[in-house]
Formats: sequence, C-alpha cells, structure tokens
Amino acid sequence: MAGLELLSDQGYRVDGRRAGELRKIQARMGVFAQADGSAYIEQGNTKALAVVYGPHEIRGSRARALPDRALVNCQYSSATFSTGERKRRPHGDRKSCEMGLQLRQTFEAAILTQLHPRSQIDIYVQVLQADGGTYAACVNAATLAVLDAGIPMRDFVCACSAGFVDSTALADLSHVEEAAGGPQLALALLPASGQIALLEMDARLHEDHLEQVLEAAARAARDVHTLLDRVVRQHVREASILLGD
Amino acid sequence: MAEALGVVAESLAGDRARAARTVLDQVVLPGEELLLPEQEDAEGPGGAGERPLRLNAGTRSRGRVVCGPGLRRCGDRLLVTKCGRLRHKEPGGSSGGGVYWVDSQQKRYVPVKGDHVIGIVTAKSGDIFKVDVGGSEPASLSYLAFEGATKRNRPNVQVGDLIYGQFVVANKDMEPEMVCIDSCGRASGMGVIGQDGLLFKVTLGLIRKLLAPDCEILQEVGKLYPLEIVFGMNGRIWVKAKTIQQTLILANILEACEHMTADQRKQIFSRLAES
Repeated sequence: MAGLELLSDQGYRVDGRRAGELRKIQARMGVFAQADGSAYIEQGNTKALAVVYGPHEIRGSRARALPDRALVNCQYSSATFSTGERKRRPHGDRKSCEMGLQLRQTFEAAILTQLHPRSQIDIYVQVLQADGGTYAACVNAATLAVLDAGIPMRDFVCACSAGFVDSTALADLSHVEEAAGGPQLALALLPASGQIALLEMDARLHEDHLEQVLEAAARAARDVHTLLDRVVRQHVREASILLGD
Repeated sequence: MAEALGVVAESLAGDRARAARTVLDQVVLPGEELLLPEQEDAEGPGGAGERPLRLNAGTRSRGRVVCGPGLRRCGDRLLVTKCGRLRHKEPGGSSGGGVYWVDSQQKRYVPVKGDHVIGIVTAKSGDIFKVDVGGSEPASLSYLAFEGATKRNRPNVQVGDLIYGQFVVANKDMEPEMVCIDSCGRASGMGVIGQDGLLFKVTLGLIRKLLAPDCEILQEVGKLYPLEIVFGMNGRIWVKAKTIQQTLILANILEACEHMTADQRKQIFSRLAES
C-alpha cells in the first residue's frame, strides 16, 4: 500500500525532522508541593509526569526490606485519555507491570541505594499524552523528579528511542513511526560514563545494523542530557535566588 | 555576573573532571567529577594544574579534606551525587583542607547525628518511645533520656506528644536514637513541647537559612508578635503566639518565605505591622 513515507528522499521524516533530530523537549521540576520530588516533561507531543517519594519506611510487609540497600518501587500508569482512542487501563495490567519493572531496573542502576538501607523509594510515573517514546519520556521525567527529591544519584539517566528505516537510523520515534512496524530500540544511558542502564528491543533487526541504531540512540540520549542539564541548572538557580544566596 | 561566564563552561562538562576550586558556588550536577587542589605548601601560588588528592599515608597529616553531603569519594576524585551549589568552608584550626559540600534543596529528612529535631511520639513499647522524625525509620527514645527521669520518676509522655530532642545515633545501618538531654544531663530546651501551638513542615533549606546566625526573617518576625518558636532540622517548625489568628499568620509567613524575595517579604511585614 502506498502508505506513509517514513523517510523522504531528501531525508525528512513525517513531521519534518531529520533522521537524528530530537523532538522539542520542555521540562519543569518541582511541580507538586506535597511530593518529595516531582517533574513534568514534554517530548514533542508525549507528556509525562513523575512523582518521587522517599526514602521512607517500607510500606506493606517488612519482609521486603533489603538489609543493605533501598527498595526502588516504580509504578507506571497511562491515562485513559493519553492515546487517540479513550481506553481504560486497569492498574495491574501487563504493560504497566512491564514498564514498572523496566523503570525499576533503570533506576536501581543510577540511584545510590546503598546509602539508605531498609527504606523504600517510590517513583510514580504517569503518561498524560502518548505520542511515541513513552519509556524515554518516563525515564527522563523520573530522573528530574529524583534529582528534585535530593536522592543521591550516580549520574543522570537519559533515554531515547531509535528505529531503522531505509538503512538509516532514526532517533526519537513518534507514534506514527512506531506504529509502522519497524524495529525500535529503547536505550537508557548514564551520560558521563557512557554506561547503558537499559537497552530494550523486541523486534527483528539484522545485527549489522545494530551498531548504527545504537549509536544514533546514544547520540540522541546525550542530546537529551544537554537539555535536561540546562533545565536542572535553571531550577537550582531560581531556588537559590529565592533563598537569598 | 560570574554566572553568565559559568554557563558556557558548565554545559557539556561531560566526563572531563574539573577542579573543585573553579566551580565553587556554582551549580553542580550528578555525574560530574571534581579534582581537589594539591594541599602541599611546596606548590607555588599559581600552582601548575591540579593533581588528584592522593589519599595515602604521606599526605594524611595535612590537607585532609572533608567530603560533605552531596559528594562521594570515588577513587581519588569527588563524585557529585546531588544537584545544587558547591560550597567550601575554610578550615578553622589546624586541620587543613576544609569541607566541601553541595547545598541542595530537599524536603525529605535523613537523620544526622547531633541534629536537633521535632518528633511526634507514635508508640510506647516497654521502656522506649517510638518517635516519628520524618526519616525512613522511626527513632527510639528511652524514657530515661529526660532531665530528672529515674525508674521511679517517669516522664509524662503520651502518644501524639511533640518532642524536641537530638540524635545520638544516626547512621544508615542502625535505627536512629534520640535523647532529650545533653551530655551534661541538662535539658537545655529539649523535652516535651507544651500544649497548643501549630506544627508545620517546610523544606530543609529554609530551616537552615532561618537558623543561620543573622537571619533577618527571624528578627522581623520577633518584632511582629510575641511568640514561642521551635525549629527542627527535619523541616518541622512549631510556633505559638497569643491568639490562634496570630499563630496562623506566623505559620503562613514562614511557609511563604521560601517563595518570596526579600522586598516582597518586607512589604508584607510592614503591612502586618500597621494593622
């Protein structure tokens, strides 16, 4: 079917971006007064909100307490109005659990959990509008929220998705590009050391192309880091001005 | 402004470690590594470059730098773990090097030994009270840790009372313990906080600012109404004035101080003083 051309001959994508170009990112920290840390991020049309509580006492069964580190508990939730069609998603469904698990693995790599044994850190992420790259937006929002809460971290965690079309790697896929069915890769990176916190792909991609797609995703994640870096510095400056430093 | 120049250098510091001296009072973010200047006197005034502080027996006697909140030692460098402004305090006495720390904004309290905090008694189990101090674990307070308390003469502490005390044990591996007497056995202001008054929560940064030696806010508040006020380092403030209305006004002012500039604050105080 002569469908949507994901990459034109001149090298433009459906929304006018170049192959390695990110969507516009806007982010704010400290959006909720009652939470320990919170952040809101917009990556193109994808909007995500992250809220962090902790480190606090283990809720529920004491048996889950780890004697040498903190327990990181992540919950992902997608609003019913987040996609094109209104869809009610019960809380414990497969996708939410899987995302929660991936977020937990990502943040256990970055948060210095051994500084708070026998306690719990809660990260709640909610997607308000999903237009592709929801995992990346969630990770970016959660990083800002954890920084806002003052929980010690090894480094930022920056994430981006990447795809592969016409032997070109595309960075930061939108919903249209994801729905087209090509291979997609989600990468979460610790930018200062270049270490990978999470790499996820569940499509088929020839291994010759993996290097290229991975490189595109890593470059995009570093670009996200530059932007988030600026947001955090701005926030710290405003906060310290008010406190009269 | 120094900040404008700093912006260009600050972005994309990436994996290149920078000398701690050059980023003093600037914003630092997790992932950055800092180098400490050599502490040797042999180094000339315009000392050629920084070398990482070598933590071996030879340099232990001088140049001991204390690594404060927000910084962790990794190898021979300092790794930043919280976002905030890097601060340095010169050493007072003979111990060289001073303290480096990151001034960060936080709402959640982590118990630190020696801090004076306000806690709420949540349970009495045997000889110990469990006190909620806002950290990850309730602190324990022995009934003998009050001035003049003996086995026969137990202090009158009920569940729900407010306690002002200090930590004697507070590390990440053990349950925090607090007491209401100082090392000489005197209360010095600690103990059960009296009836009435209002307890509210603010951020830790605001408390530190209010407890700084010459805090204008406190002096201005003192001139407004006669009041009793207790500051807990865990972000809790207890305030009591003659009437409920005055108490509420004071609570609102202190909570709002965080978001107001000095001029706005002076305006509000002058308006209140008139009425």
